[in-house]
Amino acid sequence: MPNVTQKVWLTFEGGRQNEPCLWKMTQAFPKVQFDIRQASVQADIGIMAVLFTGEEVDVERSLALLKKLGVKVDPVVGGDLIVG
Amino acid sequence: MSYVQALTCKECGKEYPIEPRTVCDVDFGPVEVTYDYQKMKGKVTRASIEAGPRSLWRYKDLLPIEGEPKAGLHSGWTPLRRADRLAAELGVKELYLKDDSANYPTFSYKDRVVSVAMTKAIEFGFDTVGCASTGNLAHAVAAHSAAAGIRAFVVVPDNLEGGKMVGMTVFGPRVVRIKGNYDDVNRLCSQIADKYNWAIVNVNLRPFYTEGAKTHGHEIAEQMGWKLPQHTVVPVAGGTILPKVYKGYKEFIQLGLVDDNNPVIHAAQAAGCNPVVTAIREGRDLFHPQKPDTIAKSIAIGNPADGYYVIKDVTSSGGSGESASDPQIIDAIKLLARTEGIFTEPAGGTTLACAIKLIQSGKIPSNESACVCITGNGLKTVEVMDGQFAAAPSIGAKIGEFDELIQQLEEQRTTNSNSKTTASGV
Repeated sequence: MPNVTQKVWLTFEGGRQNEPCLWKMTQAFPKVQFDIRQASVQADIGIMAVLFTGEEVDVERSLALLKKLGVKVDPVVGGDLIVG
Repeated sequence: MSYVQALTCKECGKEYPIEPRTVCDVDFGPVEVTYDYQKMKGKVTRASIEAGPRSLWRYKDLLPIEGEPKAGLHSGWTPLRRADRLAAELGVKELYLKDDSANYPTFSYKDRVVSVAMTKAIEFGFDTVGCASTGNLAHAVAAHSAAAGIRAFVVVPDNLEGGKMVGMTVFGPRVVRIKGNYDDVNRLCSQIADKYNWAIVNVNLRPFYTEGAKTHGHEIAEQMGWKLPQHTVVPVAGGTILPKVYKGYKEFIQLGLVDDNNPVIHAAQAAGCNPVVTAIREGRDLFHPQKPDTIAKSIAIGNPADGYYVIKDVTSSGGSGESASDPQIIDAIKLLARTEGIFTEPAGGTTLACAIKLIQSGKIPSNESACVCITGNGLKTVEVMDGQFAAAPSIGAKIGEFDELIQQLEEQRTTNSNSKTTASGV
């Protein structure tokens, strides 16, 4: 299967910033590459821009695992969520 | 002649050519249009601007277009009002209202950003424009694309109330309802932009779109007589307008068009969606995303794309963040209407309510000048005022009944006036 790439923002809050969430993900999906492009981690919140590369099914599953671990996963779309 | 230099990443400074692009390839940071201000010196002057059209395009040299504007030829140049009656109520000396509720043709500041995005879309050769929105942005995209003769798509969630559709569908765009929430809609728009090569104004044209917001700041400065207010209160939704108003001020300072009075920028959000204000108050660089719960729908963005830059600009200017509850927003809408004859939407009510709190707390001192940015029109959101006013008296078509009513109203006025005098102890 061809590799895919996904650009995402990961937000670590509520104690997740102190847990090895990415390490847990790599244990479950060792073939998924993650490339941290930008990060800002403070006491109560951490935000990372990460590029994921791998087989589509693995990338999707690895992101699903991060969500399950309590990490907020947002695709890099660059736009706003315009409600009103 | 264009003074545009490049698209530059706000994080790492990497430069890209002028092209449809949202983020930097390296660090996913947002890209911004940069200009050659040195080259502008002596050419972009007060006189050259004053000789321009009475629209936002008088600032064409400071906007990212190559040729002549192709959309929004009558947008911008909205009134800057000195609000003496409101100032008297609030106990301040010099208060101004920048009134984009009168913007053309769709009565919000979005007419500015869409004018620039639409012109850029035509320059890039796009044949279709779009956006994901249910409010002011959708209205502006639909109207400007109709006027320019370009196909438009507006993407909305499928549970949207019918009433909200009218303001956009009347202009004839293709409206697509998506089974999903706004996150899903927004994500799909990003994929559409890539796959179909369409111009989604606030996604792949975002760097150009946001530049249009600078003109709100340019106009404040010019209309005040080429000077800056000491304080400016700006609403924050996705974080587009505040950094751009500040950028507009800084451009004028850099070009020597106004004196640098160290303008202070304050951020206003509804209490039901105030991630940026909370971060400013707590002294943090990053904000916690929130789930919005407020009547101020047009600024209810829980995860603002440019929130980080709002925090940075407010903090570096020495400003503050303030938020207002829904009842405070309603009261501010009424106050603005009663004192200045302007009916604004809840976003404008939020900004005024926050300005009032900043004045009361002394963060805007009563002897300093302040400008409140009114970004939209209340006639679009009349439903939020339901139940706010007593029913009007109904009488027969007889002069005797009218006389009786006038007498009752006079008696009520006297009673109210007496009770106020007693309460104040005078």
